[in-house]
Amino acid sequence: MQKIGALISNNRRFIPLSATVALFFIAYAFGAISYEGMRDPQVFLNLFRSSHYLLISAIGMTFVMLTGGIDLSVSGVVALTTVASAALLREGWNPWAVMLLMLGMGMALGATMGAFITYLKVQPFIATLAGMWFARGMCFFISDDAIAINDRVYRILGMTKILVPGLADPVTKKGDFISILVIVALAVLAVAIYIAHFTRFGRTVYAIGGNEQSARLMGLPVNRTKMLVYTLNGFCSALAGIMLSIYVLSGHGLYAQIFELDVIASVVMGGTMLSGGAGYVFGTLFGVLVNTLIQTLIQFDGRFSSWWIRIVIGALTLMFIGVQSLLAARKTRQLASRKMTSQAKGAIAPAPLAALRNRQMLLLGGGAIIVIVLAVLAINGAQNAARGSVTNISTPTSAACQLKPFRQDQAASLMKAGAILAYERNGGSSCIDELYSVYPDGRIVGDDGTKKIEKQVTPADVDKLLSDINDKGWFTDEMYDTWHTPCGQCYGYYLTVSYKGQAKTVKAVDGGTDAPANYWQVVSTINGVIPHFAP
Amino acid sequence: MAESNNHILTMKGVYKAFPGVQALEDVDFALRKGEIHALVGENGAGKSTLIKVLTGVERPDTGTMTLEEKEIHVRSPQHAQALGISTVYQEINLCLNLTVAENILIGREPMKWGSVDWGAMNVQARQLLQRLDIDIDVTQALGSYSVAIQQMVAIVRALEISSAKILILDEPTSSLDAYETERLFEVMRKLKSDGMGIIFITHFIDQVYQVADRITVLRNGKLVGTYDVAALPRLELIAKMIGRSLTEFDDMTKIKLESSKHIKGEALLRARGLGLTGAVEPFDLDLHAGEVVGLAGLLGSGRSETARLLFGIDKPDNGTLTFAGKVIKAFSPLASIVRGISLSPEDRKADGIVDDLTVRENIILAMQASRGWFKYLSMQQQYEIADKYIQLLNIATPSADQPVKNLSGGNQQKVILARWLATNPQVLILDEPTRGIDVGAKAEVQKLVLSLAEEGKACVFISSELEEVLRTSHRIVVLRGREKVTEFTGEVDEHKLMQSIAGSEA
Amino acid sequence: MTQSKSSFTWRKITESKLFFPFIALALILLFDLIFIPRFFALTTQEGHLYGNLVDVLRNGSCVMLLGIGMTLVIATGGVDLSVGAVMAIAASVAAVMMNPVIIGLKLPPNLMKFINDPNFTYSPLWAVILVTLIVATICGLWNGLLVAYGRIQAMVATLILMIAGRGIAQLITNGVRIQIFYEPYAFIGQGWIVLPFSLYIVAAVFAIAWVLTRKTAIGMFIESVGINFRSSYFSGIDEKKIKLLAYTFCGFCAGVAGLVASSNIKTSDAYNIGLTFELDAILAVVIGGTLMAGGRFSLFASIVGALVMQAITTSMYAIGVPAFALQAIKGVVVVLVILLYSEQVRGLLHRITAQKGA
Repeated sequence: MQKIGALISNNRRFIPLSATVALFFIAYAFGAISYEGMRDPQVFLNLFRSSHYLLISAIGMTFVMLTGGIDLSVSGVVALTTVASAALLREGWNPWAVMLLMLGMGMALGATMGAFITYLKVQPFIATLAGMWFARGMCFFISDDAIAINDRVYRILGMTKILVPGLADPVTKKGDFISILVIVALAVLAVAIYIAHFTRFGRTVYAIGGNEQSARLMGLPVNRTKMLVYTLNGFCSALAGIMLSIYVLSGHGLYAQIFELDVIASVVMGGTMLSGGAGYVFGTLFGVLVNTLIQTLIQFDGRFSSWWIRIVIGALTLMFIGVQSLLAARKTRQLASRKMTSQAKGAIAPAPLAALRNRQMLLLGGGAIIVIVLAVLAINGAQNAARGSVTNISTPTSAACQLKPFRQDQAASLMKAGAILAYERNGGSSCIDELYSVYPDGRIVGDDGTKKIEKQVTPADVDKLLSDINDKGWFTDEMYDTWHTPCGQCYGYYLTVSYKGQAKTVKAVDGGTDAPANYWQVVSTINGVIPHFAP
Repeated sequence: MAESNNHILTMKGVYKAFPGVQALEDVDFALRKGEIHALVGENGAGKSTLIKVLTGVERPDTGTMTLEEKEIHVRSPQHAQALGISTVYQEINLCLNLTVAENILIGREPMKWGSVDWGAMNVQARQLLQRLDIDIDVTQALGSYSVAIQQMVAIVRALEISSAKILILDEPTSSLDAYETERLFEVMRKLKSDGMGIIFITHFIDQVYQVADRITVLRNGKLVGTYDVAALPRLELIAKMIGRSLTEFDDMTKIKLESSKHIKGEALLRARGLGLTGAVEPFDLDLHAGEVVGLAGLLGSGRSETARLLFGIDKPDNGTLTFAGKVIKAFSPLASIVRGISLSPEDRKADGIVDDLTVRENIILAMQASRGWFKYLSMQQQYEIADKYIQLLNIATPSADQPVKNLSGGNQQKVILARWLATNPQVLILDEPTRGIDVGAKAEVQKLVLSLAEEGKACVFISSELEEVLRTSHRIVVLRGREKVTEFTGEVDEHKLMQSIAGSEA
Repeated sequence: MTQSKSSFTWRKITESKLFFPFIALALILLFDLIFIPRFFALTTQEGHLYGNLVDVLRNGSCVMLLGIGMTLVIATGGVDLSVGAVMAIAASVAAVMMNPVIIGLKLPPNLMKFINDPNFTYSPLWAVILVTLIVATICGLWNGLLVAYGRIQAMVATLILMIAGRGIAQLITNGVRIQIFYEPYAFIGQGWIVLPFSLYIVAAVFAIAWVLTRKTAIGMFIESVGINFRSSYFSGIDEKKIKLLAYTFCGFCAGVAGLVASSNIKTSDAYNIGLTFELDAILAVVIGGTLMAGGRFSLFASIVGALVMQAITTSMYAIGVPAFALQAIKGVVVVLVILLYSEQVRGLLHRITAQKGA
C-alpha cells in the first residue's frame, strides 16, 4: 500500500493528465453502453477523422500556453488559410506550392505577433487579438463567398480511406478507416512531443512558463524562444487551415468562428495550466478527444441541441481549472511544511485556508454540473437502449420550428412518376418545407406545401446536373446519411437522385462537419438551378 | 590590512546614490581566497546595494573593483557570471516546475544525436550534487522539495555555470531550520576548503559566529570596518551595527528614558500570550495611553511580525489581544483602523504608497476606507486634510495633486505617516518610520511621536537605529530570535540593553 | 501648497487621460472632413436627427455601454471576456418573456392569435426589463465571485462564461431565433426622441457609473486596488468586495447592451448577438487610456474610445469600404494604438511637451 502511495506522490505531476485520460475512457464506455451505434469502432476512428485540424492547432497552442501566453489569432489564420488556398487553387496553382506558401504565411503572421509580444512588451491577449482581426479581415479581401476546391491532390488527400489493419477487409475494401489527415495529425503530435521533451527549445519553453524572470537570470534565450513559440503556432494554425480546407474541400472567411475557444478548452482539459509551465502535449491529444467525444455523445443522443456542447465544455474547463489550482495550493502547503528533517519546526507561511476552501467549492461546483449532465444523459441513454433505436432519422424532431417530417412518400411517388431528382429542404429561420422535383425534359417543380412554382430549363442542363452529381460521388460510399438535431437556423435535407438506373437517397442537416463534404457541393449546385419562392 | 596577494576580490571607494538617498559612501571591501566573509548591517545599511554593484545590476557612481588582481567593470548580471561571480539570491531564481537535474543543467544539457540526453543529464546532476554530499532524486520536480534543497540546487547551478571564483549567498538561511542550516554550512565549508571565496550576507549574528572567518559591517551606507570574527566580541559587533561605539558605553552607563509622568494607568492595548507560529513566540505586552514603547532588536528578531500582530493584519494562533477592555475577535486591517489602531508598515514601496495616486489621495486613503464606500469626503475636506499634513510634516511636493511616485523616498515616507495620522488613531504603530529620511526630518518625526504621546495616544516605535529608540521611548521592549526577551523602563543600563539585544554571550 | 490654481496649462492637458483618445477622434473626424463630403451633414425628418454623426452615436451605443462596465473591471486589473455572451443571454431572456410559446408554453387560444401582434407581450415590459437586468447582473456576480473569491485569473474565469454563455442563451430559447414583435420593446434600440433613444440609455448608465465611482469612494478604491492591492489592503480596503462590485456592474451593463442590441434587430439571435463585442469593448477602454494592468481610469475617455472605434467603422462605410475589410482595418488600428500607447512613444511625447510647458 505504501508503495502505491509513493508511486502516486512521485508522479503527482501526471495527475491532471490521468484525470483527462480517465474521463475520456469513462465517457466513452458510458456512450458505448448507452448507444448501440457507438459500439462501432468506426465511431472511435471518426473522433480522429473530424478533429485532426483541431488537434494540430491545439498542439501549437499548447506550446504558447506553456510559456504562459495565449494566442487568439488561430481562428483568423485558419480561415485565411482556407480562403487563400482555395483562391490560389482556383487560379491553377500547384497544390504543394500553395501549401508551402500558406505555411510560410502562417509563420510570418506568428512571427509578427511574437515580435510585438516579446520586444514591444504588448500583452499577448491584445497582440493576438489584433492578429485575428487582421487575418479574418484579409479573408474577405479575397472572397466574400465560399470557394470550392476541386484540385485533384487535395481531393485525394481528403478522401483517401486508409483501412485499419485488423478491422477491415483489404479485399473488399470495406471496413473501418481513417484518412491521411489523421496520419498527418498524429505525426505532428509525435514531432511535437519530441520537441517538447528532447530539444533545448522545448525545455526552455517549460522554463519560461515556470518563471520567466528566473529563466532569464539562468541565461536562457527567453526572447528568442518566445518568438519561436508564436511562429510555431502560426505554422500550426496554417497547417490546421490546410487540413480543414482539404477536409471540407472549400475555403470561406466564415469558417472556424470561435475556433480559438475550442482550442484553448482542449488544451486546458489536456492538463496544461493557463499560467504555463506545466502540461503535456500528449494530454492535449486527450483534451481534443474529450472535446470531440462530447460532441459525438450529444449528437448520438439526439435529444439535446448542440448548444449543450458549449455548456458542457465550459463546465469541464471550469472543473479542470479548479483541479489545477487545488493541486497547486496543496503543493505550496506541503512544501511549506516539508523539511529535510522529519520534525518540522513550524510552517513558514500556512496557506490561506479561505482560498483553499473557495477552490474546493469551485471543484465541487464544476463536478456537480458534470454529474448532473451525465446523469441526464444516462437516463436518456437507458431509455434509448430500452427502445432499441438510437438516432431517429426519418422523423427529425426539433422543437426549433416544428420541423415537419420529410415528405418521403411524396418524394418516392414523384420519382415513380418520372422525376429524376427529388430535393426537399426544410427548417431554417423562416421554417420552410420545400420539395423540388426535376424531370428529364427540363421541367422543375417546386412545392412548399401551399403553392407550386415551376421553371423550365433545357434537357441538356438536366443531364449536366445529373452527371455533375454523379461525378461528385453520389453513388459511391463517400456519400452517406448523417443526422443530428438541427440548430435554429439550419436546414434538413432529403435528396433523392436517379441516374443511369441507380437511385439513391441521402439525408443531411447543416450546421455540423460530419456530413460528407461533397454533399454540400451538390446542394449548392442544385440551389443554383431551382426556382425560388417569393419571400 | 591584509596583503593583497591573497585577495580574490577588492572594491575600493565605492559611491552609489539614488534619488534622495546616498546608498553607498566610500565603501571598501576585500574578499580573500578560501574564506567565508560575512556582510552585515541593518536595513538601509547598504548591503544589497553593494552586492548589486558587485554583480552588475547597478553601476557604481565612482569606485574601482579588481578580480584576481585585474581591474574589472561589471556590465550586467550575465557579465558578472561570466567573470566568475555567482550569486544565489534569497528568492530562489530557479524554475520549480522543472526537475532538479534540469535546473542544474538547463541551457547546457548533454545532447545525444541532437536531442536532450536525459540519462546523461541525470547522472551528471547527481555527480555534481554528490560533490557537496547531497543525495536526492534528481528526476523529481524542484518544486516538490523543501526550500533548503532548492537552495542547494541553486548553489550547485551557480557553481556549475561558470568556473565560479566567488559565491555570494544572500540571506540563504532565512527559510531554513537548524538542521538545514548546518547542512548548508557544511557545504560552505567544503567549498571554502576548495579555495572558493564566499560572501555570506545574513542578519543572524549567531550564524556569523558559527561559520564566518571575517566580517564587514556597514551602517547607513558607510563602512564601519572589516574584522576577524574570532577577534570581535559579540557585544562589540552589535554596537557597531546599531551605532553605539564602545567608548560611549564607558561614558554613559545609564540613560534616562523620557519621563512617564503623564501616562495613564489602565492599559489601552493588552496582549496576553499573543503569538503566531513561525512568526513570533507568545508574548505579553501592555500599551498605555500617552506612552511610547520602543521595540528594539536586530533584523529578524520579530519586530515587524509583532507589529503586524498588534495591528491585526495577521491572525494569531495563540493568546488574546484586548483593546479598551474588549477582546479583539475580528482581525483585519479595516477592523483595526476603525477601532483606532494604525500601523505604518516597514516596506513603504510594497505595502505603503499607491504610487499612481496623488499625495492627497494617499493621505486620505485609510481614513476614507474606515468611513466605507459611501461617506465620501468632499474635495474641500480632502484638500484641507492633505494640506494640514503637508505642512505639519513638511512634505516637499509642488502640490497635493502630485502623484506620489514623483516624490523622493523620504517624502513618500512622510505621506504614509500622514495617512496614518489622519485616521486619528488611539494606538499608532510605526515600523521603521524614519527609513530613508534625512537627519532633520528624522528629528521632526521623533518629536512628533512624543507629542502624539502627550496628546494621549499610545505609540509603538520600531527602528534599527538604537539611538532613535532610546530618544523617543518611555519604555523599551527587546526582541531577539522572534521572542520578547525583556523590557526596560526608567533608567536603562545600556550594557544590559545591548546584551539582551545581542544575546547571552557578550 | 493647495490645489493647483492654473488649470489650463499645456502640461495638464497633455497629461490628462482624455488627451490621446480625443486626438484620435479628432484625427478621424478631420479625415472625414477632408475626404468625405457631407459626413457632417445633419438633416431632420419627422423630428429625428439624421446623419453620419448620429449614426456613429447610435451604432456605438452597445460598445459604449459595454465599455462603461469594462472600464471598471480593467481598472481593477482584470478583464471580462464574457460580456458578449451575457448580452446574448439577456436578449434570450427578454425574448422568451415576451414570447414564451417558443419554449413550449401553451397559451390559451384567445391569446395565441395575438402572438405576432405588435402590441402583445406575455409579460409586461417593466418585468421583462427588470428580470433581464437581474439575470445579467447575476452573470456578472458569478464572474466576480470566481475572480475575487475563487482567486482565478480574470481571463480564465470569464472565459468560462464566454464559452458556456452562448450555450445557455441557446438553451433558453431552445435554439430558435425568436422574433420580437412587441413595439414598445423595439423602442429601446430603435426609438427616437430627437436623438436615438439608445443614447439616452447610454447617458443614464454613464450617469449611474459616474455617481457610483466619483461621488463615492468606490472610484478611488478601484484605482487603488488596481495600482497596488497590498497597500490598499493595509489601508483597510477590501479588495474582494471592490472586484465583486466591478464585475457585477459589468454584467449589468452587458444586460442593458443586450436589450439595446436585440431590440435593434428585433430578434434574439443567441449565436450572433454581441459576437466579438467583448473585444471592441476592451479596445475602447484601452484607447481610453486605462492600462490593462489596472489603475487610473476615466469613464469618459472610454466612451470616447468607443466612439473612436465606431467613427472608424462608420467612416469606412461612408467611403464605401466593404464590411469585411473593416475587420482588417480594426486590426491595423489596434496595432497603431498599441504603438502609440507603448512606453517608448509615450515617454518621447511627454518629454517633448514637458520641455514646452516647464
